[in-house]
Amino acid sequence: MTARCLPTVSLRRATAGLLLCLAALVTGPGAAEAMPALKETPFFAEVVGSGQLPPIAERVPQEPLVVDLEAHGRVTGRQGGSIRTLAARARDIRYLSVMAYARLVGYDENLNLVPDILASYDVEEGRRFTLHLRKGHRWSDGHPFTAEDFRYWWEDVALNRHLMPAGPPDFMLVDNELPTFEVLDETTVRYTWSKPNPLFLPTLAKPLAPHIYRPAHFLKRFHARYTDPQSLAQAAARQKLKSWAALHNRVDAMPDFSNPELPTLDPWRVVTAGPSSRFVFVRNPYYHRIDTAGQQLPYIDKVYVDIASSGLLAAKANAGEADLLARGLTMADIPVLKQGEKAKGYRTLLWPIARGSEVTLYPNLTTTDPEWRKLNRDERFRRALSLGIDRRTINNALFFGLGMEGNNTVREGSRLFEEPFRKLYGTYDPGEANRLLDEIGLDRRDSSGVRLLPDGRQLEIVVEVEGDMTMLVDTLQLIGEFWREIGIKLFIKPQDRTVLRNRAYSGLPVMTAGPGLDNAIPTAAMPPGELAPISQYHLSWPKWGQYVETHGKVGEACDMEKPKELLALYRQWLGTTDEAEQERIWKRMLMLHAENQWTIGTVAGALQPIVLRDGLANFPDKALYSWEPTALLGIYRIDEMFWDRADRRVAAAQ
Amino acid sequence: MIGFVARRLVTMALTLAVISLLVFLIIKLPPGDFLTNQIAELRAQGDAAATAKAEFLIKQYGLDRPVLEQYLVWIGVWPGPNGFSGLLQGDWGWSFEYDRPVNEVVGDALWLTLLVNLTTVVFLHVVAIPIAIYSATRQYSIGDYLATFVGYIGLATPNFLLALVLLYYMNHWFGISIGGLFDPEYANEPWSLAKVGSLLQHLIVPTIVIGLSGTAAMIRRMRANLLDELSKQYYVTAKAKGMPQTRALLKYPFRMALNPFIADIGNLLPNLVSGSVLVSLVLSLPTVGPILLAALKSQDQFLAGFILMFVAVLTVVGMLISDLLLAWLDPRIRLGQR
Repeated sequence: MTARCLPTVSLRRATAGLLLCLAALVTGPGAAEAMPALKETPFFAEVVGSGQLPPIAERVPQEPLVVDLEAHGRVTGRQGGSIRTLAARARDIRYLSVMAYARLVGYDENLNLVPDILASYDVEEGRRFTLHLRKGHRWSDGHPFTAEDFRYWWEDVALNRHLMPAGPPDFMLVDNELPTFEVLDETTVRYTWSKPNPLFLPTLAKPLAPHIYRPAHFLKRFHARYTDPQSLAQAAARQKLKSWAALHNRVDAMPDFSNPELPTLDPWRVVTAGPSSRFVFVRNPYYHRIDTAGQQLPYIDKVYVDIASSGLLAAKANAGEADLLARGLTMADIPVLKQGEKAKGYRTLLWPIARGSEVTLYPNLTTTDPEWRKLNRDERFRRALSLGIDRRTINNALFFGLGMEGNNTVREGSRLFEEPFRKLYGTYDPGEANRLLDEIGLDRRDSSGVRLLPDGRQLEIVVEVEGDMTMLVDTLQLIGEFWREIGIKLFIKPQDRTVLRNRAYSGLPVMTAGPGLDNAIPTAAMPPGELAPISQYHLSWPKWGQYVETHGKVGEACDMEKPKELLALYRQWLGTTDEAEQERIWKRMLMLHAENQWTIGTVAGALQPIVLRDGLANFPDKALYSWEPTALLGIYRIDEMFWDRADRRVAAAQ
Repeated sequence: MIGFVARRLVTMALTLAVISLLVFLIIKLPPGDFLTNQIAELRAQGDAAATAKAEFLIKQYGLDRPVLEQYLVWIGVWPGPNGFSGLLQGDWGWSFEYDRPVNEVVGDALWLTLLVNLTTVVFLHVVAIPIAIYSATRQYSIGDYLATFVGYIGLATPNFLLALVLLYYMNHWFGISIGGLFDPEYANEPWSLAKVGSLLQHLIVPTIVIGLSGTAAMIRRMRANLLDELSKQYYVTAKAKGMPQTRALLKYPFRMALNPFIADIGNLLPNLVSGSVLVSLVLSLPTVGPILLAALKSQDQFLAGFILMFVAVLTVVGMLISDLLLAWLDPRIRLGQR
């Protein structure tokens, strides 16, 4: 069990060591920390000069993360300047945190897990995790970032019944067992479970990171254990809140960026308190990454996030009002974006989206209607539905013919891909579809040629879908045409996302449609949770998911053989640390999905337009875009981006 | 007169009571609301503590009570969990979506909304009335046909489309930033001349877009009204007696033709707040319209309820004002006479 983990970690440490040696070579001998000579950031020159801010040497950790840009094909940049981006709602500024991607551990561009905020970590037997912080690392307000911040989150937040009524998040539990948490010293903490917890590290690297640390020095002022409950109650009442817990939860808006006073470890911190139509982020003076020339990252001083209605994002980008914009743009915007390129001086990069399938149908195996439940559970029915879709036409009509036609599965060329995952039952064969449907006993038709259910109702599938996703609705309209040929009527019911989710959780929809696998470029070490019935979020089996999530209190136990095998495989994956075994499990699950068509995929590989202003350097021309694992643009490190034009690098000290 | 106003006030109160009941019932009609949705999710976590929190939320907003009682608590004639605290007491409720009191959410947007819509109303009248007078007095002239033609186009063009087209060209030709009510860099700035300038620039598109179809409609109505009056004997007599053209026109037939517009004030007032939802959405204006739409979509009941009630109040008040104005303007209309 330890065999896999220890070598990888030591390898990582070796790489880190190598980096440090390299750095030492550059700066010459004598640097005690084997670290380049630090250069003061021009942005802060004035405030450091006047003594309001300590000099750079006191701000970065004693062992900062030294990024060797040349080593991964980038260039050492120059600090200064600002970039503008857009968001559809004020709440969406949290996606800047996703893209800034400062994590305890995070993925690099090759999807290997590497320490980022952490100096290093050790894993023993897959169950004992020792995290080593960087000495001298500080929050954005200058207060030291230490083991106490981890202890605070674990003991005073996660285990506090008022703050987290549902208890600690799932990835912190193994078979319902809490870890033993130890503070070894000021900068070392350890979590120990009695069994392996392979979810722990990958979850820390997720796009919306579960921050397992909190700025204790700041939040203690709002915690009843450290502050007089009486005065807290008054403070809460002043904000029309009912309890100190509600107040604490409001102040502690860690990934939301909604509280400018809350210290952060991200490259930029928000300085605008909402509501506003422009949110300003300025560089974090205590950020832990530096380049080999001794400049502190990020290179960009300020990020402006302007709020504009989602329909205007493309038009605004076309008018040159964004320097970097990805989220919110779709394939349909490409002509508009291309048209403005020359006049406004930007480029439209087209990145393939790594998603299982752009539009995926989810037959609800746990729907409440008994007739439909029976039908949805019949794999012949699901296969027939899949074989009845002409994916080539969809691809040509909606994806410029550039997509990959077939099932909802991992992406071609990714580590776990195999041909049948995409193609098995993922082709167009209406004859076979008709044969399967007849075989099930759906051979009676009404005068208009629509098949009839055994109880005499028309075979009309109501597909419920989020109304504002036009790509989904367009695709469904095409599918409706194809299905008519095999005697099935499709009715599209667009609705609000919240309403749809809640209907799904209570088992009402017969079928839903949405995007496919979020993570279509997984490695074997990433949890295959999206393939197993473990979450109500998966709309093929929300009830089974609820059952697992609530440990049997709500929902229904999984009662079908094949999905049970998925569950068993997932449990096996959780119990192993052997990479070959993990890979075997992944592939078996993917194969089961292709065979059983629990989700019916259409076309994968749409393009994500990304607007990039001319002069912004250190950004890949082409890469894969996804929510998970790339965290939108996160793993491509936008803190390494810089202006290759002097006129855009104007430093404005504050 | 006083008796009339008093009676009208009583009717208004009754009307508002009925409207508030309807508004509340309709908002509650769809299965689930923002809070029960949230509670459903908490329940789905299946945790006793979560359920306790759900119970807490249910109690706090009185959702375990019958709908009628919830309604009475909302308007403030029934003691809720916090005593009498409802619309009548000035407690406008809590917006779940924004996690702030409703008055804060609406307050920010209200002034900009009034500004946009007032500008539009002024634009509409200033443009429509002269054109209408021109085309009525010179019926079937080239100018009349031209005004009619432009007017019909204004009526027929979907204004959200026009909004997008105008936005693009205003940016293309004049470099005015797209959407919003001022350039992004002024968003967090205190008011200054430059910011007001930016605001004025950005008001151009919404004013034209929102105002255009209204202008067209108004030209047509005004023209028709005036044409009716122009052939009447009193006007012919006035002209025959040698009264100057313009004065005769403005003093008699024009005043007659204005009546329907005064009667329209009742509709105008609520439009100042809730009008132009679609256009505001397209133009990404920070006004009440988009907030109302979002609140209705996510079933944020107190927020949506409050905005709708506010609009209802404006409507009935507007009706009262227009009645009083009519009486003052047109000597033929007398109030309170049996």
